[in-house]
Amino acid sequence: MSDSRNTPIFSCHDVHVSVEGKEIVKGVDLEVGAGEKHALMGPNGSGKSTLAAALMGHPGLEVTGRIELAGEDISELEADERARLGLFLGFQYPVAVPGVTVASFLRAAMSARQGRDVPVKEFRLKMQAAFEALGVPRDFAGRYLNDGFSGGEKKRLEIMQMALLEPRMALLDETDSGLDIDALKIVSAGVNEATGSETGVLMVTHYQRILDYIKPDVVHVFMDGRIVRTGGPELAHELEERGYDWLADTTTASAGG
Amino acid sequence: MANTATDGTSAALDSRRPLLATEDVAAFSRTLGEAPMGAQWRQRAAEVAATIDYPDRVRHLWKYTDPGRLAPQRSLLQVPQEVAPFDLPDTPAVLIQPGRAPQPNAAAIASGIEVRALLHQDADVEWIGRAVPADHGYFEAMNAAAFNAGVLVRIPRRHVAEAPLRLVMAAEAGRDVLPRVLVIAEESSQATVVEDHTGGGDGAVVIGVTELLAGDNADLHHVLVQRWQDGTVGHLTHRAEVSRDGKYLGAIAGFGGDVAKADLGGILAGPGARSEMIGVTLPDRRQRLDHHTLHRHTSGHTWSNIDFKAAVSGRARSAYTGLLRIEANAPSSEAYQENRNLLLSERAHADTIPELEILTDEVSCSHGATAAPIDPEQIFYLQSRGIPADRALRLVVRGFVEPTLQQVPGGLRAELEELVEERLARLEGSA
Ligand SMILES: Nc1ncnc2c1ncn2[C@@H]1O[C@H](COP(=O)(O)OP(=O)(O)OP(=O)(O)O)[C@@H](O)[C@H]1O
Ligand SMILES: [Mg+2]
Repeated sequence: MSDSRNTPIFSCHDVHVSVEGKEIVKGVDLEVGAGEKHALMGPNGSGKSTLAAALMGHPGLEVTGRIELAGEDISELEADERARLGLFLGFQYPVAVPGVTVASFLRAAMSARQGRDVPVKEFRLKMQAAFEALGVPRDFAGRYLNDGFSGGEKKRLEIMQMALLEPRMALLDETDSGLDIDALKIVSAGVNEATGSETGVLMVTHYQRILDYIKPDVVHVFMDGRIVRTGGPELAHELEERGYDWLADTTTASAGG
Repeated sequence: MANTATDGTSAALDSRRPLLATEDVAAFSRTLGEAPMGAQWRQRAAEVAATIDYPDRVRHLWKYTDPGRLAPQRSLLQVPQEVAPFDLPDTPAVLIQPGRAPQPNAAAIASGIEVRALLHQDADVEWIGRAVPADHGYFEAMNAAAFNAGVLVRIPRRHVAEAPLRLVMAAEAGRDVLPRVLVIAEESSQATVVEDHTGGGDGAVVIGVTELLAGDNADLHHVLVQRWQDGTVGHLTHRAEVSRDGKYLGAIAGFGGDVAKADLGGILAGPGARSEMIGVTLPDRRQRLDHHTLHRHTSGHTWSNIDFKAAVSGRARSAYTGLLRIEANAPSSEAYQENRNLLLSERAHADTIPELEILTDEVSCSHGATAAPIDPEQIFYLQSRGIPADRALRLVVRGFVEPTLQQVPGGLRAELEELVEERLARLEGSA
């Protein structure tokens, strides 16, 4: 703990994740500095969502390894404790909670994150500003959470939540998929707005497209439960041109890290 | 038997058949100061009771509850010396206790609704037993002959009662209470009656019957809140008979007691009649809560809907049986029914049996039943936003019942929501 500038906002070391005894994430190390944006790209089924859920603290996953947020070991914490410390997960498939309105949910979440009962008036103002910024119609406040929302609407709401919860580290799992280009621009602007120089971002994505709007500092290629290569933004372009196959051979080679 | 202290006059009961001799019933009626016709009515009910067999568990309505656990434990037909004190709110309210005349507060007296002891006028026998006759079943016959906490509520013709009238139905530990409520909503009247079953404790037994008569064009709302304390057991039977163009809304919050069975129903007896029932039950720990609903269409051009939800936790069991019956002379009727069950723990259990009996054509009916465990991904999603798991669970359950509560008008909805919140606070320890 010599110099706080050297402490990454988020890191994980040797994270393994199994589901029902089957290992899906096979040893992942990451370090994300404050204000840094990392992209994690990889083929379908390689374990990206499993990794993101494990980092968030999904209770149904068997996880080993060490996870730190702003220098604090959060490996043993429940998901809600991690969230209150400032970790955020934007879901690939946001879950519907029928009967719970967006507004009551957002207020409960904001109150939990801030550790105080956010007054109704203050909450309404913030919510409306966030709705506006992300082009979400106002009547969403009274609708049931993610219930009957289109894919794009759900993704906007995820980023809106991120904006309201002001995380220190955001894990964004395919926030870009299912968005048309206009929505993508709005959502990307929302991400850029909400994540200034203090916040770390890990964007999980299949596509180069979003990286034109949210510029990554670091790109990781994730295959078969491991990060097989790490590079700068140019790596994303290379993936776009060449696909993932050329990296398949290196999977075992770089496994040791 | 050392466990039940009995004196010379109160012979210990055979738990399978209460002693309801007609002369004892008549004497009891006199003790309560009832009208002569009232005594006769009870005597006839006692005769009926003697002919009805104890409920048999092979009969499907009794499949899920052991009737033996609901049997009164002490001598019936007695007036207790003392009853526990109960506080009434400032809003219109009536305290209903065994062996006592109904005690309305000032607001109830000022409400314009008639409230008095049942069977204290000869004319009462024209109404009592219409929706729930003595031969309805074993417990109903027992109640008819031996009820000890009766109240008549009459909403006069065209009277619009602004505030709900609350009937505080006080159960007591170690005592059998047989409440009987008769609500007569006269033509074009509007009122809300809240029947709040409260109190109880170890050894408390409640065998209740409620008859609700919604007259022509009347609009009657009825809320049944059952929040007995642990240790209480009971059986409640409700029937609303809805006349031409009448509207009935019945809301049920079935929460309390160790073992409780409720038989709830609406009879659509005149063209244009509508009945809507919503129910929420949240059994937890080792509770056994059993609800039966019936909508019987005896007239054409009638409409009914039932939405019943159960969220079951701990090792509790919920049973729901729902019957829609459209009689042969009731064409152009619509009847809908839905029962959804949410299981909050692995040992929680829910039975759900929807039934349709349609004896005519040209009807529109649907029924549905589901039972599913709570989705852990919902809990994780809420947790990922900083909401602790127990709070997340309560939110999901609250969301599960919310669309049902939404069907209840404003003031009542707020009351039901509060009751649900209060109840959900208990979930914390039982997850
Ligand atoms: N709950 C589960 N039970 C069993 N297998 C699972 C479970 N969750 C994920 N898996 C399996 O783990 C592997 C990785 O899934 P994951 O969703 O993490 O991949 P992904 O990289 O996010 O894929 P995509 O790009 O399609 O989103 C897949 O083979 C998947 O079938
Ligand atoms: Mg995924």
